[in-house]
Amino acid sequence: MAQSTAPSAASATGRASATGPAPGFLSGVRVIATRELGAYFDSAIAYVYTIAFVALAGSIFMNEFFLAGRADMTPFFDLLPLLLAVFLPAITMRLWAEEAQKRTIELLLTLPIRPAQAVLGKFAAALALYGVFLACTLPIPIMIGVLGDPDVGRIVSGYLGLVLFGAMFLALGMFTSALTGDQIVAYVLATVAGIALVLVGDERVVSVLDGLFPGLTIGSTLYDTLAVLPPYESFVRGLVELPAVLYFVGLSAALLWANALVLRISRA
Amino acid sequence: MIEVEHVTKRYGSALAVDDVSFRLGAGEVVGFLGPNGAGKSTVLKMISTWLPPTSGSLRVAGFDVEREALEARRELGYLPEHNALYDTMRVFDFLRFMGKARGLFGPRLAERLDWVVASCSLQDVLRQRVNQCSKGYRQRIGLAASLIHDPRVLLLDEPTHGLDPLQVVAFRDFIHELAPGRAILFSSHILSEVAAICERILVINRGRLLADAKLDDLRAQAAERGIDLERLVLEIVEERSGGREAALRGGARPGGGAA
Repeated sequence: MAQSTAPSAASATGRASATGPAPGFLSGVRVIATRELGAYFDSAIAYVYTIAFVALAGSIFMNEFFLAGRADMTPFFDLLPLLLAVFLPAITMRLWAEEAQKRTIELLLTLPIRPAQAVLGKFAAALALYGVFLACTLPIPIMIGVLGDPDVGRIVSGYLGLVLFGAMFLALGMFTSALTGDQIVAYVLATVAGIALVLVGDERVVSVLDGLFPGLTIGSTLYDTLAVLPPYESFVRGLVELPAVLYFVGLSAALLWANALVLRISRA
Repeated sequence: MIEVEHVTKRYGSALAVDDVSFRLGAGEVVGFLGPNGAGKSTVLKMISTWLPPTSGSLRVAGFDVEREALEARRELGYLPEHNALYDTMRVFDFLRFMGKARGLFGPRLAERLDWVVASCSLQDVLRQRVNQCSKGYRQRIGLAASLIHDPRVLLLDEPTHGLDPLQVVAFRDFIHELAPGRAILFSSHILSEVAAICERILVINRGRLLADAKLDDLRAQAAERGIDLERLVLEIVEERSGGREAALRGGARPGGGAA
């Protein structure tokens, strides 16, 4: 379109290429992840969320830490599930809903990349931002290590639990974002689902649910199958158990797969 | 390069595209003409692999767009109707992203970036964010993104929308330069625009392909009857749509009955 200085299309490109290139699977995932991570850090989103999360988690924990006076991170790990159920959907709500709202999804999904690559790329970006959240809380174990003699193994397994817990909730948030073209609806759906997954792991909630439908034991069934706290708490106790790892990895994979499926179906 | 065979697209009970067939070979620049809502964009979306057809088959450079979607997309450059772009990215970063997503890296990517930036005259806005650019620039950014991988098939949905008259002229020249070795299908609802670029037009209304003709033939017919080209095309649309009222109504047909 350059009116005087444009190189000739034919001279610059020669004959049009025989078969266009396409990125390999991991390369495609990396390209999408880099763009999404850039979108987070190119706006105020990443900075605001990180500061808010670290300030809230840190201040709640420090209050309890000084009251109890123990070199123990268990209270920190105990308070995070509900906080993450509210915070993580804020990271994921834009990932697909914004693409649908702004119609860039057509641009993205007519590139030579598979829906699975797009899903994994966005997931990797959200996970990386969540990693920044967690990295910003590392001064807490360092401080505890300086002030006392904490169980390092429990701290490490607790953080591993947080990574797996967060990954699952990010996958859940991405799935709800793919289901709706509205970011607010995506946030509300993911938050309600996340809080429900946390609450059905609380024995008081289980008792209430079992009491409501005595013959069905809904509360106990949900606790045994879907509740997120029992597997998470095994990490907090310092145990890395295969069933707990499989719970998080399995549900995360299922939600990511469902996300890719929604992308395919929604185009028809 | 583009083969569309008996393609139909339904949205529920509404028939958006009704048994459309046509072919485009290498080196052809074909205008896809029709009123708003005629089904032009739906056909382009199906060729681009974005929408699956309800029935029929579409092939791009020999690849079936449903079964070999990735292969077809590698051959395609696509400028969608609304030209939605990643608004908050800087123009250069956006084009680089599009290149990488197309599998271009290193010197090849740098070479292609230089070419699309120069060809689409984007030097002045490279450091700006896409949402800071004018409509004309946004259209050129979209065109540059669709050309970054040197595709053999180019689909342009209302590509001159938002361009000023000088840019429209430059665009026509650019399309002529691009044509050798490529199949270019571009949609418009303005006949003069299509006539200035193409040798062949496809006319669609209410989802049905009403005409597939060489412009020279149409011009000859128009001259023979002593009417202008625009009048002739309008008569074709009216006659084959079932009258003026039906022709003007355009859009998808509920129920899908024959027009």
